[in-house]
Amino acid sequence: MRASLFITCYNDTLFPETGRAVVRLLERLGVDLDFHPKQTCCGQMHANTGFRGEAFSQAKRFVRLYQDAETVVIPSSSCVAMIRDQYPGLFAELGNEILRKDFEALLPRVYELSEFLIDKLGVEDVGATFTHRVVYHASCHGVRALHLGERPYKLMAKVRGLDLATLTNVDRCCGFGGTFSVKNAEVSSAMLTVKLQDVLATKAEYCTALDNSCLMHLGGAMHREYAGMKTIHLAQILASTETEATL
Amino acid sequence: MKQPVESRQLILDRIHAATPAAAGDASQLADAYAALPRTYIRRSSLSTSARIKLMIHRLREYDAEVVESTPADLPAAITAQLAASGRHLFVAPPGTPNKWMVTSARKITGLKWTIDHGLPIGEIEKAEGVVTAATCGIADSGTIVLHHSATEGRRVLTLLPDYYLCILRASQIVETLPEYFSRCQQPPALATYISGPSATADIEMTRIKGVHGPRILVVIVVRDDK
Amino acid sequence: MSHATPGRVSLDPRFAPPFPEAALIMLRNPQLRKNVGHAIDVIQAKRGKLVVEKTDWQELRSAASAIRFHVLDNLGAYLEQFEARCTAAGGHVHWAADAAQARQIILDLLRQENATEVIKIKTMTSAEIQLNPFLQASGVNVYETDLAEIILQLGDEDPSHIVVPALHINRSQVREIFARTMGLNNLSDDPKELTNAARTYLRQKFLTVPTAISGANFLVAETGTVAVVESEGNGRMCLTLPQTMISLVGIEKVLPRFQDLEVMLQLLARSATGERMNPYTSLWTGVTPGDGPQKFHVVLLDNGRSSILAKEKERQTLKCIRCAACMNACPVYRQTGGHAYGSVYPGPIGAILTPQLMQMKYAQTLPFASSLCGACYEVCPVKINIPEVLLELRSQVVNQERKQAGRVFDLMYLGLRIANLIFATAWGFHAAQRMGRIGLRFFTRKDGWIHSLPSLGAKWTQTRDLRGLPQQTFHQWWATRAKEGK
Repeated sequence: MRASLFITCYNDTLFPETGRAVVRLLERLGVDLDFHPKQTCCGQMHANTGFRGEAFSQAKRFVRLYQDAETVVIPSSSCVAMIRDQYPGLFAELGNEILRKDFEALLPRVYELSEFLIDKLGVEDVGATFTHRVVYHASCHGVRALHLGERPYKLMAKVRGLDLATLTNVDRCCGFGGTFSVKNAEVSSAMLTVKLQDVLATKAEYCTALDNSCLMHLGGAMHREYAGMKTIHLAQILASTETEATL
Repeated sequence: MKQPVESRQLILDRIHAATPAAAGDASQLADAYAALPRTYIRRSSLSTSARIKLMIHRLREYDAEVVESTPADLPAAITAQLAASGRHLFVAPPGTPNKWMVTSARKITGLKWTIDHGLPIGEIEKAEGVVTAATCGIADSGTIVLHHSATEGRRVLTLLPDYYLCILRASQIVETLPEYFSRCQQPPALATYISGPSATADIEMTRIKGVHGPRILVVIVVRDDK
Repeated sequence: MSHATPGRVSLDPRFAPPFPEAALIMLRNPQLRKNVGHAIDVIQAKRGKLVVEKTDWQELRSAASAIRFHVLDNLGAYLEQFEARCTAAGGHVHWAADAAQARQIILDLLRQENATEVIKIKTMTSAEIQLNPFLQASGVNVYETDLAEIILQLGDEDPSHIVVPALHINRSQVREIFARTMGLNNLSDDPKELTNAARTYLRQKFLTVPTAISGANFLVAETGTVAVVESEGNGRMCLTLPQTMISLVGIEKVLPRFQDLEVMLQLLARSATGERMNPYTSLWTGVTPGDGPQKFHVVLLDNGRSSILAKEKERQTLKCIRCAACMNACPVYRQTGGHAYGSVYPGPIGAILTPQLMQMKYAQTLPFASSLCGACYEVCPVKINIPEVLLELRSQVVNQERKQAGRVFDLMYLGLRIANLIFATAWGFHAAQRMGRIGLRFFTRKDGWIHSLPSLGAKWTQTRDLRGLPQQTFHQWWATRAKEGK
């Protein structure tokens, strides 16, 4: 099984440890992983802020980089949602027929991490050990755009020692919303406060998710407020074994 | 300010310019309409008795008082309800069967029936209660359907009095809303769908019943299915 | 004077402050947050149960969406059919191109009847055209009859929700308003007593005022019928007691056939108030001798709707049946309430409808008043893909900005333009990462976290820390690993 890793612009810059965990995890599962050195961004930030022309140029670049990849794995549900939900419209409106066709051919080969594990590799037990109490934040893009459903829960159920807390209002938005967190910083913070109340009430040690964007937002407040909880991408939990903790 | 006639054409022109895919003629329009997907539930899955039971359950959920009666016992059942109400001045639609009124008038002292042959509003306002038939009962939502025929009365009749006794035949009860619509031979010119006493939740979402409209709803379900 | 909303925000999109500014005013009001949250929780809980119970919920949504799209595609034909049937049944149909025309048509009709008073059923469309102040200024006293609208009218408050407009006001605030304006000094704050006070106050009005104004939930083209959905009974009062009825209705509210109500009515009450069916639904066709108003007028309102109809991605906005499920589900609305949107249409639907009704000349911050979580689309009974429309409108707002000279001073605009250059090439991206790491080092504390940033960054750090940029990016780690032969 060969796969190409699209790490995402913000993971590359801010959360390289998530990328390292994805590599460890997938190689442990026998995946022959490669990494295109010229990758940058999927264009989501621009598309979501109304800069469609700019997003298009990034989308075009993405398709050109990966059009020959067997499979593309992305540890970020919002980026996959961008590719799945918005690229079609961008190419229909701003592209050409050839580009659009190349994209259509590529699309079925693009997977979010938990989709790749469950649907493509067909595994639920990835051989992980993570002896901690964990609360899972279901990112909006994962829930509503990708319909990930039970996938992350199936994966977590097989992690040895993981004590999964129940989160009330589990599918309520954390308030990050990309540039919304800056353009509407106060509302974003109010939403964050409400979300944090539910998350902290679980008394978990770690808050995990499939998107570092949400975790950056939640974790930033946890750190500011000395809340005593840490954030960690699910990839890092899944990569963690008895002998090697990935934190 | 443009005259109304001009705006009609202006608006229609704007709409036509905005809808290039509009059907070319009435028959194309009807075809497009007929092709619309309707995979929602359109038929009842309940037996007659289950349907009636559900209707009664829903009515009671809305705090309506419900009793059953055979067709033969209906006049007695009406009398019993009116007696229990403690009220005496009742209005009724012009097509109300005499049988419904004769027994109660005889048995309850001071009971007065006024038939609505174009009563002034002030007279209806004085009434303490109203009794009517109905067109349909929709069990799923406990809805009483009035088409305001001669036995159901004009709309204001079931609105002003504080007590409303509705006579609903079991054979009029359907389970789902689509079944009611499919039963309508023709769409009614006037209709009121009642699903319980009036209510408001405008103050802190606290449901308060009986703002305007009858605060007491009693339904006699006549078992004409047996 | 108004306790419910200290720091008032105009609901006229032409004068309302930008959403972030208006939201901040509302965020500083904890009572408002509490009231809004409580109301939403009640409706959401009820709705949730009923949606699970309604096993064909998704099929109903699909049918409703299809019916509404079909109507929009053929709006002209259905409106003309409605007009013909309504007129044949004794009604009069008027067409208002914009708000000013609608107001004038209504005033002229009232003057025809020598009406100095009018009773009203709640209709957001009349708030959209700012009808009440216009009528008052023209010498017509307007009496709202919906409990929420009475609270707002007597308390000089603005609506903050399209179904439960006074949800931001709690019982003691209502008590204060009623006590003051109805002269009832011994009134308690028990909702039952408060409702009774309203009932008594209105009874005489219903029985004596001969002219009424309503909106409509649906128009049925096939029959010329108008449908009004309500809970309190004030609608039935206004629809049956007066002599003259004027119904103001947006052109998009028409349905093809009577039968289509079987879909809409199953969705509406469950979505709006969490009930299987609202207490009272009234349907009437033109004029019926001996029953209800003998003079009936429908004022069809365009006011920007036909221009929305012309836009392919945006026209789905007009499918809306005004149930408010979207704002009940919205995590942004939950925090800010409706007034922050500076429009009588708040929440997710307001964020797409309001700027469009204003031809994108005003309310340009509304499409950005969303984290794009998608909860609204999930609950919309007619499947309006609100996030899709939000993104489309954001693009239009940015394209407007591209033409403005002042854009060079907008840091967000500049930042995104520069970011696009950065993402265009790997070397540009990597260079920017290096520069960012060096630049942010100054702000990074010993524990490796950034606590405070200047300028746009301050918007982040005002409430959140940011972990400092790691020494090595992922791609650098990969390159090193590759060199070392894995």
